[in-house]
Amino acid sequence: MIRVTDLIKNANGTRILRGVSFEVAPQTVLGIIGASGSGKTTLLRCLNGLERIDGGAIEFDSIRLEPSLSAAEYSRRVKDLRKKVGTVFQHLYLFPHLSVVGNIIEAPTHVLHVPKKQAEVEAVALLESVGLKEKARRYPETLSGGEQQRVAIARALAMHPALLMFDEPTSALDPKRSAGLRSLLRGFIHRGHTMVIVSHSIGFLEGLADQLLYIEGGEVVESGAAEQILNSPRDPRTKDFIEQAK
Amino acid sequence: MKHRFSIASGLLTLIVLTMLPGKAVAQQPLRWGADPSGGAPYVYNDPSHPDQYIGYEKEMVDALAAAMGRKAEFVPSDWETLVSALQRKSFDVIVNGLEPTADRQKQIQFSKPYYIFQLALTVRNDEQQIHSLADCKNRVVGTLGNTAASRLLQKENIPSKSYAEPLTAYRDLELKRIDAVIMDVPAEVFYVSKSTTLKRACEPFFRGTYNVGLRKGDDALKAEVDAAIDKIISDGTLEKILRKWGLWNDAQIELQKPKPGEKNVEVGYDITSASFNWREAIWRLTRAAFVTVLIAFGSMFIALVLGMPLAIGQWKGPRLIQWLCTIYVEFFRGTPVLVQLLFLYFGLPTIGLAMPAWLTALIGLGLNYAAYESQVYRAALEAIPRGQWEASYLLGMSPVLAFRRIILPQAFRIALPPMTNDFVSLFKDTSTAYAISVWELATAYRELANASGQFLLLGVAVSLYYLAMSLPMAHLARRLERKLQRREAIEAVESEVV
Repeated sequence: MIRVTDLIKNANGTRILRGVSFEVAPQTVLGIIGASGSGKTTLLRCLNGLERIDGGAIEFDSIRLEPSLSAAEYSRRVKDLRKKVGTVFQHLYLFPHLSVVGNIIEAPTHVLHVPKKQAEVEAVALLESVGLKEKARRYPETLSGGEQQRVAIARALAMHPALLMFDEPTSALDPKRSAGLRSLLRGFIHRGHTMVIVSHSIGFLEGLADQLLYIEGGEVVESGAAEQILNSPRDPRTKDFIEQAK
Repeated sequence: MKHRFSIASGLLTLIVLTMLPGKAVAQQPLRWGADPSGGAPYVYNDPSHPDQYIGYEKEMVDALAAAMGRKAEFVPSDWETLVSALQRKSFDVIVNGLEPTADRQKQIQFSKPYYIFQLALTVRNDEQQIHSLADCKNRVVGTLGNTAASRLLQKENIPSKSYAEPLTAYRDLELKRIDAVIMDVPAEVFYVSKSTTLKRACEPFFRGTYNVGLRKGDDALKAEVDAAIDKIISDGTLEKILRKWGLWNDAQIELQKPKPGEKNVEVGYDITSASFNWREAIWRLTRAAFVTVLIAFGSMFIALVLGMPLAIGQWKGPRLIQWLCTIYVEFFRGTPVLVQLLFLYFGLPTIGLAMPAWLTALIGLGLNYAAYESQVYRAALEAIPRGQWEASYLLGMSPVLAFRRIILPQAFRIALPPMTNDFVSLFKDTSTAYAISVWELATAYRELANASGQFLLLGVAVSLYYLAMSLPMAHLARRLERKLQRREAIEAVESEVV
């Protein structure tokens, strides 16, 4: 589904990503782990087109992003790509001037031109699936952090993305809520979603991610099946990180 | 004895002679007040020596002062406030083509007349229909504020527009902004005699006098001034001055030959006396308030609409557009709005773009405030986190859609309080329209109060008008702000309770 080859990204004269390669198969979950500043978030921003790549390639089904494309062609392909990718930011970026339902139906009604009534019915169904049906008419700033995150998830899901990406989903959650989110996401796998989750929380990814990718200094140190990496990491750097995280 | 006496008398003469000039020097100077701005031919800045004043009244006062054995000292002042400045002792006499009127008579006293003036009605050369003041019933006639002419227009119920200077009145007549100008003959002679586009509508009419204005109680000075006026009239000095300025006419002979047994030429006060009518004043203030509202709302609309492209251009536009927008903003913010209005009103007609004064004020203030609004918008737009844009893009929105649906509504909330603020100050800035003779509230106050002396009561009335207009505005803005925030506030309370 996604193939990333030798991905390079520079920013302000510094090489942030130094040839990252990996693949994600449909209906699997890839966990990307690494310390702060390792390039995890930049990698995610390259995958959803917020950053233009400087080397290598990203392939998503039939869409291919590479640095040799003209600016216009690159952004045209990014536009196609974004129809298939939903992103939940660490800081969520809900729209504060819109209600919970308003946040969810904004893109379907104005981008996909779904009739408002129909979009609202779908939104309420989505809210039900994330356990927020009764908060539909509220405004984001009146919700708790965990509730806001689930609104952001519902907002992304409303565009029917094939791939869902999360940036540090547990950073604002207490352990109990983290567990709740994990079971919510696990439910998505059964419904056929593919996910990429950037996190520094090993515990959250354990039992959720199929594959793991450990990044350090913009390079992939180790990748493979989650179980194998968590239980018997080959590289000493991976081993250090996992031990410290636990 | 005889010899001794003649020596003594010679000595005495000598002493008197040496004392006389000494006495004259010791005399206080005759401080006289007049408005030199647009004051030709009375007293004005010499165009070839701008640091000096010239004018027939300047020469006349010099002659008067000489006759009184004093030195004349000119105190430049403002026409509208001459009387109050005299009472504040800024100077000792007013010599500015001042007509004695009943209401002025309540505040100051007058010398005997030194000039008999008439009024001249001026129209454009191509004017066919105006041949007398009576033909002006449905036209607009320009004149100076608070003069015999303006009172005559008011009395005859002729729509009038009042100016601070003759030049601007005649300029507006040429530009067809008004239909006629009525002015004292001296000013008319000075401004119109050389004109190729204007003519007299009829022979001069009306009869009034110019007198020197003095403080009540300054009776000694009044006697001195009256004597000096008699002297320069009888010895021909005044006639010489008037002839030099082309102002001499046969009417003046009346002043030279007072009828036996009658010391003063009696002047009919009643025509020019303005009886202050409160009902009329309130009605005129109401009309002025409407003009103020029209200008304020019209210019705010322009500012709000034009501010947005300016803000976006300066914020996200290509380099050249950014530059142009910045130049626009800095120009309009960096120069006084008063200067901008004068430029639009008097400068644009030279390239064939003559707008009526109210429209000039509306557009001028609109262009000015657009510069301020653009900065309010820009600050508000820049305050929206970049993540809001990114979240919109990732949901598939185009930049235009994201701006319209996500960024703008949030920026509007941030911008609303400073926008309200600007609107209130725009309301007050409509008073700068006075400079181009728009009859809005501040102009109305100034003129009505100067004409009546009712500074306090009219001031209260005008303040009430301003408040009656700005308070609902502030209230409306507060309600809008609350409406934008109430939903969340109520729900925030609810969620805390739950």
